[in-house]
Amino acid sequence: MAAFLASAISFGVIFLFGCVGEILTEKSGHLNLGIPGIMCMGAAGGCFGVKIYVMGTETPNGALTVILGILFAMIFAGALGAIYAFLTVSLRCNQNVTGLACTIFGVGFTSFFINNVVMTEGVSAKLSLAGRNFFNAHIPGAENLGWFGTIFCSHGTLVYLGIAIAIAAAIVLRYTKVGLNLRAVGENPATADAVGINVTGYKYTAITVGAAIAGLGGLCYVMGYMNGIVGSTVDQTIQGIGWLSIALVIFTLWKPALAILGSIVFGALYILSSYITGISFEQIPLLNLIPYVVTILVLIVTSIVGHRETQPPASLGLSYFREDR
Amino acid sequence: MERVKEPLIHITKREPMPLWKSLLIRFGAVVIALVVSAIFISASSPRDRGFFDYFGSLFSGAFGTERRFWLLLQNTALLLCVALALVVAFKMKFWNLGGNGQVLMGCLACAMCMYYLGGKWPDPAVWLLMFVASLLAGAVWAVIPAIFKAFFNTNESLFTLMMNYVALCLVEFFIAHWYPTGTGAMPPLTDANLPTFGPGQAGRSLPVILVAVIVTALIYCYLRFSKHGYEISLIGDSKNTARYAGINVKKVVIRTLIFSGLLCGLVGFLLVGSVNHMVSSSMDGNMGFTGIMVAWMGKFDPLIMSGISFFIIFLERGMAQVCTDFGFTSEALSDIVVGLIYFFFIGCEFFIVYKVHFNFRKRHGRKEPEFSMGAGAEQGGTQPPALPPEPDALPAEGNGQTEQAPEAVPELPDLPETPPGNKKAGGRKQRTKKEEN
Repeated sequence: MAAFLASAISFGVIFLFGCVGEILTEKSGHLNLGIPGIMCMGAAGGCFGVKIYVMGTETPNGALTVILGILFAMIFAGALGAIYAFLTVSLRCNQNVTGLACTIFGVGFTSFFINNVVMTEGVSAKLSLAGRNFFNAHIPGAENLGWFGTIFCSHGTLVYLGIAIAIAAAIVLRYTKVGLNLRAVGENPATADAVGINVTGYKYTAITVGAAIAGLGGLCYVMGYMNGIVGSTVDQTIQGIGWLSIALVIFTLWKPALAILGSIVFGALYILSSYITGISFEQIPLLNLIPYVVTILVLIVTSIVGHRETQPPASLGLSYFREDR
Repeated sequence: MERVKEPLIHITKREPMPLWKSLLIRFGAVVIALVVSAIFISASSPRDRGFFDYFGSLFSGAFGTERRFWLLLQNTALLLCVALALVVAFKMKFWNLGGNGQVLMGCLACAMCMYYLGGKWPDPAVWLLMFVASLLAGAVWAVIPAIFKAFFNTNESLFTLMMNYVALCLVEFFIAHWYPTGTGAMPPLTDANLPTFGPGQAGRSLPVILVAVIVTALIYCYLRFSKHGYEISLIGDSKNTARYAGINVKKVVIRTLIFSGLLCGLVGFLLVGSVNHMVSSSMDGNMGFTGIMVAWMGKFDPLIMSGISFFIIFLERGMAQVCTDFGFTSEALSDIVVGLIYFFFIGCEFFIVYKVHFNFRKRHGRKEPEFSMGAGAEQGGTQPPALPPEPDALPAEGNGQTEQAPEAVPELPDLPETPPGNKKAGGRKQRTKKEEN
């Protein structure tokens, strides 16, 4: 049970990154359907960053490996996010279509990049070594703490980073002026513009930072959860996770703090099939259904209840053109 | 005249642009995207291949042999059918992102009929049942989100997305159920295959292509000439207007999505019954997403969409050849190039809808109206967003604007009334045409 919960947390954090990134983006009024592609880009970038470092040195430094992985994941994902931001903010393209294009591009790019550029001779062993030893380095002494240690202290760096980012995002959105301005931009950009908030700047920043955070989700899946074992269909898996992350945003009512809880629930549902014993081969797909069905149910329930607090930002999905009336 | 801070770039909406000009802009965007991808691929190729070999490989992959040519047409037909299925929903701003799932359910239903009844019933009876079952399965998968959208305004894009994965899991379940010892792959079924029109790839592809031609014509007439089509576009423009005009929006949403799902199911029927004779969880080929892009890039017009889907499939088929010739192991290269095309194509819409005015030439005077028209005309021809306009492009491009000039003249007296530094000045211009989202 403790092992299951620990796995649920370490898988849930992948959702958490994607979800927090998407919340930041949506708070600026942009529905980014490119998150699956962006998370893939994060995985590709992270693997690339780790690869060039561990292949270049004989004795790689653990902390540096992790930092490089994070940095490259954020750069790659942020770049695709910036493309999305440029197309939807400056060029005012349709957000759904642009997002889908980002997903198609990002997933394709990742599949290509990982198979042709990252996974050259002898890389996979070094990557999995880096994943196991550096990204999943435990807190020393966690084994001695019993179930508490297993659930809370047995995770890699990225898990704690994810939770820290979610808490930070919650505080920024709720209690700071920057967060207030960002929410204003998402609710009513014309009004925000009228009081002198730099709407374009906020949108660009929120989308790019959101994308960079979501990209860490991809890194977290490959280097964290999979221990650096990069399968050839990693892009398809992350794509599925990405769509669920977007759904999780609705599940958690646009609240990063709630997203921590929601993502652990999703993580538990996602890995359920490998922890239930005595099921046959053909029943696995049926168990894999559960997170999607739960998401659908949540979508329906939140739409029926239709509480004011549970609504998306008012101008979500609309391009803002200052001279429109 | 003090100008405190004038932004360097000033953007306004432009009058509707003549068709040839907007087509030219889009064409330019695609050419730029292709050139960019050619440079990228020939530079990163492990083999010694040049810039122009790329286009050679592209064409030979798509048209090289008779078989490739028929496959190109067949895949175009399938993609076009999916895009047409989605377009009826998009026209009323229903974001049906569930094309993949609806196609997969059609595939699954068709494969079930073939698996359970093939060889036991006479073939024509099975064919009929396959047809009905596939269409129904697709329709059911589309109508569930539609019902919730109609009654509770549930977010349809996420709902349909999740339905994709539910369909995928169901397909995996049935494959595992039918072939418990296998590797998750299903061998082609030999019974109850749909008839072909003669031997070879041509005979196999022709039925699919014929169906697509018929569907295109039907959808074109449906959207253009029928009352249903009118209701759909009215709801797309404004739900409130539609309601005011006495249209039952809920009914139309559900009815249209049934129609959309039926068409996706039809694609599944063709995919399993005629093309593959088996089902796999990746059989949809991501056509649901590609179909959205086709519908969007084709401006919801079935005729333009057929051209766009031909182009996309041409790229996909051609890129497979490019991969082989340039020594790449991953087929995903085509997704990158197609993705680039999407970016450029989506981005160029901006230059069709908006005008960009550069302010650095009019620091002293206030002849904004004349300048703005000139600047807009120049900008129409230039593609890269960051480039300043070329002054010599003015005479050639200016011709297209001539019929708009009289409309713009009455606005001139308006402008001096507004404070020069006021950024809202452009907003005073009358804009009758709202941005189409």
